[in-house]
Amino acid sequence: MPRVLVLIIAYGNPMRSDDGVAWRAADELERKFACSKIAAEVEILRCHQLAPELAEAVSQSEAVIFLDAASAGVAGQPGDLGCEEVPLPSGNTSFTHQFSPGAVLALSQQLFGASPRAYAVTLTGECFDHGDSLSPMVEAALPEWVARTEALVRQLLSSVRPA
Amino acid sequence: MKQGSSIVIDPVTRIEGHSKITLQLNEEGRVEEARFHVTQFRGFEKLCEGRPFYEMPSLMARICGICPVSHLIASAKACDSLLAVRIPPTADKLRRIFGLAQVTQSHALSLFHLSSPDLLLGMDADPAKSNIFGVAEKNPELALDGIRLRQFGQRIIERLGGKRIHPAWVVPGGVSEPLTEANRDAILFALPDALAIAERTLEWFKSTMEKFREEISTFGNFPTLFMGIVKKDNGLTFYGGKIRIVDASGHVVADDLDPTHYDDYIGEKVEPWSYLKSSYYKPKGFPDGVYRVGPLARLNVADRCGTPRADQELAEFHELQRTAVLSSFHYHHARLIEILYCIERLEQLLNDPEILSKHVRAVARPNALEGVGAAEAPRGTLFHHYKIDEQGLIRWVNLIIATGQNNLAMNRSVLQVAKHFVHGNRLTPGMLNRVEAVIRCYDPCLSCSTHAFGEMPLRIQLLSPEGEVLDEVARA
Repeated sequence: MPRVLVLIIAYGNPMRSDDGVAWRAADELERKFACSKIAAEVEILRCHQLAPELAEAVSQSEAVIFLDAASAGVAGQPGDLGCEEVPLPSGNTSFTHQFSPGAVLALSQQLFGASPRAYAVTLTGECFDHGDSLSPMVEAALPEWVARTEALVRQLLSSVRPA
Repeated sequence: MKQGSSIVIDPVTRIEGHSKITLQLNEEGRVEEARFHVTQFRGFEKLCEGRPFYEMPSLMARICGICPVSHLIASAKACDSLLAVRIPPTADKLRRIFGLAQVTQSHALSLFHLSSPDLLLGMDADPAKSNIFGVAEKNPELALDGIRLRQFGQRIIERLGGKRIHPAWVVPGGVSEPLTEANRDAILFALPDALAIAERTLEWFKSTMEKFREEISTFGNFPTLFMGIVKKDNGLTFYGGKIRIVDASGHVVADDLDPTHYDDYIGEKVEPWSYLKSSYYKPKGFPDGVYRVGPLARLNVADRCGTPRADQELAEFHELQRTAVLSSFHYHHARLIEILYCIERLEQLLNDPEILSKHVRAVARPNALEGVGAAEAPRGTLFHHYKIDEQGLIRWVNLIIATGQNNLAMNRSVLQVAKHFVHGNRLTPGMLNRVEAVIRCYDPCLSCSTHAFGEMPLRIQLLSPEGEVLDEVARA
């Protein structure tokens, strides 16, 4: 299977307002990459939540970006942007109803022997009620979030592209 | 966690949804009563009122992220009834393929991701290791097989429906798009690997059964009725046919029941301690009319599967007991046989000469004001019942979901396990896991059965005779 240089996993529920912001960002990134050679180097997946099945796609990538909405209070104020490298968990990893980026990496390592460099890129949401539109603060922060994610993609590509 | 004089377990883990269990002790400190509480709010029936009927399949698919296809199919069948049309033969077959893929991926999730830690690592395993990572560490091939089999089912759903979750491809009157040759060939190409996984997992499961004799004898091992839809020849089906009910001895107590008249023989009881209604067989009344649905029930009511390998396994399954197979532990076994059947049946349907026909939808205006759709979802028989007005707007909805139909049996099963394994006023991890594990046998889907918004964590409480909480286990 051909390796993907950068895999973007955009997750959340697009029918729960700001929880779907990653899907919106995925649409924007796809549009930006459409006419460049990056389109062949980057794969974008959209899903409601992380699941064990993603481990295989992760293992076949050189780098992974997990795009997600974060909860206010836990990750700052609505509209805040975050980017953290996802470490490979060293201890026990749990799986009940939710799967974390670290858990996907751990399973990728356990089953496929690969744990690519990964980043969790977040935008803190304000409203997670039923609805398919973003709250004003999140809508306003979306272009900057997309721009920074695009920059991260380009940076990762420059380091993982074969010479 | 000690709280005054009661015990609580919260939540029940590795199930789809969240719930709580209460164990009531008697004067001797033995478990006397057990209750499986579902405290989510049920709301889908009400929110659909006023919507155009043709929106129902898409709306109903939103009930669940695990088995949206089953709701889509039952809903579309109810809408076919409103249109009073016979759908094109190819649409019928394509819906069946969709449903079989759904059952395969859902059963794979239940067996590999949720229950295989118990089966591989044992009921007394360290809870921190009792998950898919523990399985991957001890038996990587098993964990990988789970991922591959679930992907197999999900990819079929994606190929037909356009996406893995909440596809809207099944519509009133048929399906919205025919199957392409490329998609047919791609699915057929993947079948041998899926079949090999099903075969080796079944062999592995059967080899582990000896280790679980105590669980087999205490996990919902009691007489009940069993209900399922069967074909005209009394064979296994997930799409349509007549309702059949057998008793604990395996004798048929009701046959050829029309699913559209479910109200004649299925009653629903509301309990004040749970949002999950309890279904019962009306002729026997409540609570004597307790019955089970889902894989165990389907294999108890079916005389045959209709595919070679699954038929061999079904014959062996029926040999487990001279009566109906009673222990709910055998839901796992039944689930694996059904996976085998699904894969074999997929091959039959995909090789049907009509399967690529472009005629896949019948178009009509509503011709009836009331319609019922029934199908076998992974967890059991599913009924959707709608009433509309002259403008085609929904006026009334009733949904009867598998998990609700298993509610009485689940409660009895928890009681049986708790009586056998829980002693004194403390819960050990092994006891707790067995109480949870018996629920996992049924693979309940609480989102489906309560049509809930949000989540409810499960906790188990152990209550003294006076109602004091002796112990409580709660999981965030």
